[in-house]
Amino acid sequence: MNMIRYTLRRLWQSTVTVFIVLTAVFLLMRLLPVEGYFKDAYDKMQPEQRENILRSLGLLDPWYIQLKNFYAKLFRGDLGQSIVYRPKVPISEILSAKIPYSVKFGLTAMALSLALGLAMGVIQAREKGKFWDKIFTAYIVFINAVPAAVYLIFTQLYVTSVTKLPILFDRTKPSSWILPAVSMSFGGIAGYAMWMRRYMVDELNKDYIKLARAKGMSSTAIMVKHVMRNAFVPMAQYLPTSVLATISGSIYIESLYSIPGMGGLLVDAISIQDNTLVQALVLIFSSLGIIGLFLGDVLMALFDPRIKLEKRGGAR
Amino acid sequence: MSEPILSARDVVVKFSLRGQILTAIRGASLDLYEGKTLAIVGESGSGKSVFTKTFLGMLDANGWVDSGSIMFEGMDLAKLKTEREWLKIRGKKIAMIFQDPMTALNPLRTVGMQIQEVLELHQGLKGEEAKARTIEILGQVGISDPAMRYHQYPHEFSGGMRQRVVIAIAVACNPRILICDEPTTALDVTIQAQILELIRGLQKKLGLTIIYITHDLGVVANVADDVAVMYAGDIIEYGTAEEIFYNAQHPYTWALLSSLPQLGIKGQPLYSIRGTPPNLFNEIKGDAFAPRNPRALKIDFVKRPPYFQVSPTHYARTWLLDPRAPKVEPPATIKAMRAKYARDAI
Repeated sequence: MNMIRYTLRRLWQSTVTVFIVLTAVFLLMRLLPVEGYFKDAYDKMQPEQRENILRSLGLLDPWYIQLKNFYAKLFRGDLGQSIVYRPKVPISEILSAKIPYSVKFGLTAMALSLALGLAMGVIQAREKGKFWDKIFTAYIVFINAVPAAVYLIFTQLYVTSVTKLPILFDRTKPSSWILPAVSMSFGGIAGYAMWMRRYMVDELNKDYIKLARAKGMSSTAIMVKHVMRNAFVPMAQYLPTSVLATISGSIYIESLYSIPGMGGLLVDAISIQDNTLVQALVLIFSSLGIIGLFLGDVLMALFDPRIKLEKRGGAR
Repeated sequence: MSEPILSARDVVVKFSLRGQILTAIRGASLDLYEGKTLAIVGESGSGKSVFTKTFLGMLDANGWVDSGSIMFEGMDLAKLKTEREWLKIRGKKIAMIFQDPMTALNPLRTVGMQIQEVLELHQGLKGEEAKARTIEILGQVGISDPAMRYHQYPHEFSGGMRQRVVIAIAVACNPRILICDEPTTALDVTIQAQILELIRGLQKKLGLTIIYITHDLGVVANVADDVAVMYAGDIIEYGTAEEIFYNAQHPYTWALLSSLPQLGIKGQPLYSIRGTPPNLFNEIKGDAFAPRNPRALKIDFVKRPPYFQVSPTHYARTWLLDPRAPKVEPPATIKAMRAKYARDAI
């Protein structure tokens, strides 16, 4: 019961946050100089021509009218049409072509990073200071220290030449999915391994592990029943956020393998001042981010009994 | 006197630390008798905890029993190597409770599950049966409404209650020996007495043999039948509580007792032992306490004293007990204690 009430309250707060973000971005976009909407054509147009175009886009209305129109459309489920990126094409059409690629790659990479990263972290914690710990630590340091572009390009060039995997993405060839997905998981694996190792070592040094040993539990049973679960709790909070972050697409890897995904779209849209596209993307990304935080909190509350969901009256 | 249930002989424990070898226990011996309570006292770092951890095979990974024997139920525990062998002893035959109950329980699992785990592990109980037994044990250690408490988490318990849960875990399998590593140090005084009382009650009921590790001589006087005094990794005096308190022989025991505020003489500054314990990285020559002992003899710096027998139950490792030793006067507090003891004996 408490859980439901807590969830609903957090959901409401999250929704409000999304709208605040969306409104702020909407207004900021309106502060940009109007020259941006015309790109190179600006100088060639007569002032009346420009004014006509701006008026037809509704950009000459006072900001509150624009905002009202935007929300009125949004609540009807209409994201509007692109104005610069692909003029007059509905935003939903542009995005629905791109989102599936980013989501599929993101989720595959996420699954890989989670499975391999957590396994690596567990092995490292168990073998702390020994061979595998050192090897995996070397990997983590490498991934964090070397610029991503370097090892990603090397992966693309050398792995393809060794394994005969396709060098560019081609949606008709399933084998061309492998490298981009693996490349996307490099960082995640290192991150999860590092945190899992760290949290597990933290847990292993706690007193309750001593008591569990004194109880006569085998070290494997202690790992499974006590350490792994407890180490997972601090990670649970960040998990959804990172899942959703990978869904939004990897700018670099998508361009490296020419995957028609969402990565980089937001940056492009802002630089060409495609207001409607920016608004739609901000809506998506901020929703993802906030849903991530929300799910993280709910997961934490589910895993950790010490988190009390209702407000306490006064001091304990 | 009956056969001891656990008998440690000349146990040497070493640790490898940053490439150096540290000798934490230097040939300590100990006999433990069924149903009795032994207190091991000594200052921090004297090896009290390490010594008893060898009975459970719970030394840290960089430590090992170098030589000596620990006989228990016809087995030499010092020879056990694999975890599998230890699992038959730990928690089942010999159990241990630790100093800080606030951190000794897994915060994410219910109290009931943490006790039940032991029962499932060692007694093969399952499901409802294990649960019923767990609730019964919770009741036994003085937790009210155990059926409700079974489902609660450690953070819903106070410090004293948590220590009761830790004790419940330790006694769940009716171990023969219970090692209590400073069980009351982290608790406030009123709770301390309750916990000691609880342990005493369980001892009577279950026929436990108990080892207390403590530096609180007040606790010792309260609970112990026998006392072993440890200094620098060695048991330097061993006897019944009465013998140690009223007829101490080793200069270190004298010093320890003299620094008790309760035994101090009014108007005089409280005694404190000068200097620091020896560095265990170095080899210790002679009596380890000699450098801090104002009454040290010449031989104390040269040759390690053997155990001298004072009574059938009382041994001390000091050259003062050698017939050739000069007569050395103990400090005033010790003399007062002895006099009081002699008076009471008549």
